[in-house]
Amino acid sequence: MIDINKQAWDLMVAHAEKTFPNECCGAMLGTIDGDVKSVTKAVAIENSYTGEQGARYELRPEDLLEADRQARANGMDLIGIFHSHPDCDAYFSKTDLENSCPWYSFVVLSIKSGKFDHANSFLPNADQTAADKEDLTWPKS
Amino acid sequence: MAKVLIPTPLRQFADKKDSVELDGATVAEVMTALTAQFPTLRKQLFTDEGKLRSFVNVYLNDEDIRYLQKDATAVKAGDTLSIVPSIAGGAQ
Repeated sequence: MIDINKQAWDLMVAHAEKTFPNECCGAMLGTIDGDVKSVTKAVAIENSYTGEQGARYELRPEDLLEADRQARANGMDLIGIFHSHPDCDAYFSKTDLENSCPWYSFVVLSIKSGKFDHANSFLPNADQTAADKEDLTWPKS
Repeated sequence: MAKVLIPTPLRQFADKKDSVELDGATVAEVMTALTAQFPTLRKQLFTDEGKLRSFVNVYLNDEDIRYLQKDATAVKAGDTLSIVPSIAGGAQ
């Protein structure tokens, strides 16, 4: 399961709402204890997709490398990636799956009419053919 | 020796190490040494045909090896190799 603390969650939602109606993206840092992943820091990353960003996002690998360096420098782990689906539910789309990697949790935030609606986390497989849903908790305020 | 940084989710395949020091004159040699030392890591990084998986990028220090000499890129003592995935997606 993956648990996101308030500080990280507030940044993720704020980034997703600010970016609306485009998709946002970012990295989640924290610690892993057995099967429990605890996200304590979120990093907003620029969506580098060069076309219409309303339904697409792309992370520059060098931005992800920098997030990993931040994690290592602070004794944390890079745990996952987040992105938003503007005016869509938080499913893992075919595009998400075909451009994923199996190493990280992928949290999708549904933003409807500019406001957070719901979220899900997914664990894609190595062949990019399927993604299992992962238990996700965040502070409900 | 060059240092290879192991991404968190792959440390379970590398004796839980976050980095490994390895010999090799090129990126290919270092990556071969890495997967020789940790055979279960190979499936995570390479296809059955021996090619790096499509989502796997290798950086030599701050440079993507695709823009250098790919896996023939020379590696010097003290260099750092990072394994970074390509990630994208979208609602449609």
